[in-house]
Amino acid sequence: MDEEIDTRKINNSFLRDHNYATEADIISTVEFNPTGELLATGDKGGRVVVFQRERESKNQPHRRGEYNVYSTFQSHEPEFDYLKSLEIEEKINKIRWLPQQNAAYFLLSTNDKTVKLWKVSERDKRPEGYNLKDEDGRIRDPTTITALRVPVLQPMDLMVEATPRRVFSNAHTYHINSISVNSDYETYMSTDDLRINLWNLEITNRSFNIVDIKPTNMEELTEVITAAEFQPNQCNTFVYSSSKGSIRLCDMRASALCDNHSKLFEEPEDPSNRSFFSEIISSISDVKFSHSGRYLITRDYLTVKVWDLNMESKPLETYQVHDYLRSKLCSLYENDCIFDKFECVWNGSDSVIMTGSYNNFFRMFDRNTKRDVTLEASRENSKPRAILKPRKVCVGGKRRKDEISVDSLDFSKKILHTAWHPSENIIAVAATNNLYIFQDKVN
Amino acid sequence: MEYKVEAHRIMSISLGKIYNSRVQRGGIKLHKNLLVSLVLRSARQVYLRDYYGGICLSAQQAREWCEGEYMDSEQDKLVPGSTESLPESDGQSEVAVDKGEPINVVESPASLDVESQASGEQEHAENVILDSGCSDLKTTEESPEASATCEVSNVVTTISSNCISDPSPSNPKEATETPTDCQTDDSESVEENSHKPKVPRAYTNRKRSADDSELKDPLPKRTKVISPLLISKNDENKGETEEMDTSNVSSLITIFGSSFSGLLSSEDGAQPDSEVEDSDSGQICCDQMLKNLNPWSTAIVAF
Repeated sequence: MDEEIDTRKINNSFLRDHNYATEADIISTVEFNPTGELLATGDKGGRVVVFQRERESKNQPHRRGEYNVYSTFQSHEPEFDYLKSLEIEEKINKIRWLPQQNAAYFLLSTNDKTVKLWKVSERDKRPEGYNLKDEDGRIRDPTTITALRVPVLQPMDLMVEATPRRVFSNAHTYHINSISVNSDYETYMSTDDLRINLWNLEITNRSFNIVDIKPTNMEELTEVITAAEFQPNQCNTFVYSSSKGSIRLCDMRASALCDNHSKLFEEPEDPSNRSFFSEIISSISDVKFSHSGRYLITRDYLTVKVWDLNMESKPLETYQVHDYLRSKLCSLYENDCIFDKFECVWNGSDSVIMTGSYNNFFRMFDRNTKRDVTLEASRENSKPRAILKPRKVCVGGKRRKDEISVDSLDFSKKILHTAWHPSENIIAVAATNNLYIFQDKVN
Repeated sequence: MEYKVEAHRIMSISLGKIYNSRVQRGGIKLHKNLLVSLVLRSARQVYLRDYYGGICLSAQQAREWCEGEYMDSEQDKLVPGSTESLPESDGQSEVAVDKGEPINVVESPASLDVESQASGEQEHAENVILDSGCSDLKTTEESPEASATCEVSNVVTTISSNCISDPSPSNPKEATETPTDCQTDDSESVEENSHKPKVPRAYTNRKRSADDSELKDPLPKRTKVISPLLISKNDENKGETEEMDTSNVSSLITIFGSSFSGLLSSEDGAQPDSEVEDSDSGQICCDQMLKNLNPWSTAIVAF
């Protein structure tokens, strides 16, 4: 598929001219809102940047809805747990938008321990003409007031403000890895390594534990929860994935504590591929429901798998993302790359799957045509409005022109977080501290 | 052979990762540590498998020897309930060296013994022997802890293996510890191992100073994990392997030893009744590590 590049390089660093990225600017999550009008990114420094799509105008038809910065705010600050002498990172692990119900936008953002509900709203009027204070805000001396007046709302420059409306804290002993808003728009769940808690969006001082896989004896711990998501259409169903490569589907109507799964999706391991690192590469890093709610995609280190909820024994489809890394697992273990958690996303019609790889490559798999493409998100290779050129990794033997050999891949440039517009072919790709937004080619 | 070298290398790397995770910002990540521990265990299994057969025999002898020597030693829960030392190469029979429980001590002699017999056997042998030695000493009462210790010991053993496998090192030291030697070392605490010198000494220097004073005397037997390692090298030195080369791995092990000791002490509510000293040292270790252990211990325990 052809892609037109509309590049946005968002660099929040103070040192904009430098090429290195400060760690705080590394983007850690990307998420479109349900209409696709807004795009939120969270970074390691605890900040959230929200982009808004421009309204299309007849004057500039070629600028088809570019995304501009709408709001920036500091969502989480570094904290210190005095009891355990541990620092709590402010890195934003996940952002999830709530469906829009009024003029304001709401999103949930979470770090390792605390979830916060933020309200992003516009203000374009302000009241003027107070009686007790003057325009500067200073209190007026009541004895000087001789007449009363009614304050009037006057227009002002548009200001977008973000306010924290709820803080959901102290519910997780382990690190939160995902949040998911329920389709009932009243509840959401937060997931850490061993437990899943259900919250009501209005109530911050109580949450319900719905999954607990902590063994009585921690020595017997063999797997942890890596991701969880609510089914998009049924408010009683959710899935969670584990580090052992299995996905469990649970029904909250069955019992209050959903430790017993309703369905278990697991593929038996291929014994011919056994190695020291088999367990690591089978750990699922992301799970996403399709928009229809019938399918799931899961991402483990080397593959993306499509599962049909009606078939538990094996996945419907398996796509190799970067199988050429299979022989390099030992070096990837040494440099910690094997622990990278890649995400995967569906397109709006559930026909294409996208996920990231190394060297700033990302891959798309078309489920219908069975074609796949590798694209690169980098400044050098992409100019605005240019078409992205498909890339190819040469696995061995003769390297053709334009191909990249496995050994020259840059493993420090990884694309872990991507997002796809809910209805259009617009994708957002986070490459370390840069955000790239690509659109379909416009004829 | 390549597998062994590869497995050893992977074990060293894994230990390094576990160690580094302690100082990482944001606390210990349970998921990553769990995965690293799984790799560690796989590598260890491969590593030990090679030597298992050869060691069996010597292990048997070592066990008998150990039993005789340390029947009443402070053995404690460390030894995971695996009474069957030999059959299980991994896990159960592994010596729980953490805390430098007497088990360790026992093992040292056992190891030494074995060493003498099985010349040139590597750490696998060591570990196996240790296991056998330990198993005898284990008390059943501590089964829960035993499992914990077993886990730890497994890791420890691995560490030992790492240490030992260092081919070049310098250590001829393998701690050929005599039974008395075993007593001296408490990897954790004792700075000065009067009895057995160098090997433990190198490690002890790195030990937590806080507990040291207390830990030293009561339990000379707390051999640190390292000791077994040293033993492995033993081919050359049956007798007195004094020098403990402080290689990176050694120090790592030492530090792990301390951590694990702390972990165990905090994990195990009960100390073996027979070992008062152990309790004391355990307590000390516990106090030391307690505040750091919560997330850490879960990771460790998971091992």
